[in-house]
Amino acid sequence: MHNNDHGAVGAGWAELIGAVAKSADRVAFARLFQHFAPRVKAFMKRSGMSDSVAEELAQETLLMVWRKAALFDPTSAAPSGWIFTIARNLRIDALRRERRSASTEAQDIEDEFLWDAGPSAENAAATNQAHARISAAVATLPEDQLRVIELSFHQDKAHAEIAEALQIPLGTVKSRLRLAMNKLRILLDDLQ
Amino acid sequence: MTPSSHPPDVLLTASAAGTLDLGWHIAVATHVHGCAQCRAWIRMTESVGGALLENSPPAVMSREALRMVEARFGEAVAAPYACERPGPQTGLLADIPGLPGFVRSYPAGPWRWVAPGIHLLPIYPSAAEEARVFLLKARAGLKLLPHTHTGTEMTCVLTGSFSHDGGQFSPADFDLGDASVDHTISIDGTTDCVCLVAMSGKLRLKGFIGRLMQNFVSI
Ligand SMILES: [Zn+2]
Repeated sequence: MHNNDHGAVGAGWAELIGAVAKSADRVAFARLFQHFAPRVKAFMKRSGMSDSVAEELAQETLLMVWRKAALFDPTSAAPSGWIFTIARNLRIDALRRERRSASTEAQDIEDEFLWDAGPSAENAAATNQAHARISAAVATLPEDQLRVIELSFHQDKAHAEIAEALQIPLGTVKSRLRLAMNKLRILLDDLQ
Repeated sequence: MTPSSHPPDVLLTASAAGTLDLGWHIAVATHVHGCAQCRAWIRMTESVGGALLENSPPAVMSREALRMVEARFGEAVAAPYACERPGPQTGLLADIPGLPGFVRSYPAGPWRWVAPGIHLLPIYPSAAEEARVFLLKARAGLKLLPHTHTGTEMTCVLTGSFSHDGGQFSPADFDLGDASVDHTISIDGTTDCVCLVAMSGKLRLKGFIGRLMQNFVSI
């Protein structure tokens, strides 16, 4: 994937979040902040946010990590997936505020991703293993499939627009997306 | 019980990525609420989102960013659900099986007569823009003649069942229709069929009723 300083510390996110939850550990928080805040900011910018809005949302996301650390359940989500959902919900909130005067509460957006039947049957080991395999699978996606998937995380773009953004033919977008999805679908069937 | 008809992967992914309009998200979420398989897909997509986030190239934060966040640690946090939720009529949705909790919290109703054997209950989500959301209740044994619609239509069965040449749809089954679909729909069995529907386009209820009356319904 992309070249940067991840990997070495990647295994310890859950412990760092746990330390924030248990003892309001500021050193642990700073490490989470240093890795994730700049990446959440980049995520927001790729969604079309201005630098200042992206900065604000990145700070807000990490503030939520601090406040909600005790709610993080390593048996049901990977740390990065959990942080992703916080960032996603704040992005939805920001876009709604931008588009209309009336806005929803952040809590409402959280509810929109809450289903009665949780992943309670899974255990931590299975979740960690699943996450490791998902990360590995994502990392092995060819760059072209990866870019199509990444784009689909950022805007509700018609495939035609993705094709335009990547300057590739529409049929190629569809086949790359299908390939990537099939790969992930097979992986998921494996895990179940 | 596992539903037999699911939203396409791209829809599930868009839902988990948070890029779907709320109206569409509600239709997808209503299916996901009743489908363990798609819940697993959504969770996997969130993990994929996390993996993409974790390994993506960073942007540059302002120099005081960490300090500014730390300064807010002591801020009082409003208790969740402290705000008053709208809708004295949400009781109407409380009795409908198969709806996710957040959908029940929306203002809705009342049930309106649309055509013989058909009633409609509008739902007013906080931020749906592209799609209108409503419940449609059709009497057992009813046949709806082929109709075309201009936009996209997502249907999730809540109770009862219906069929068209694409198959039979039972509780939690998801049916995606677009302008190219032209089905004759029959309501199966002996119980009324209630569906959650999200539909795009500027749906004028009056016009919609009129069209239903004129074109769609045969008893
Ligand atoms: Zn499903």
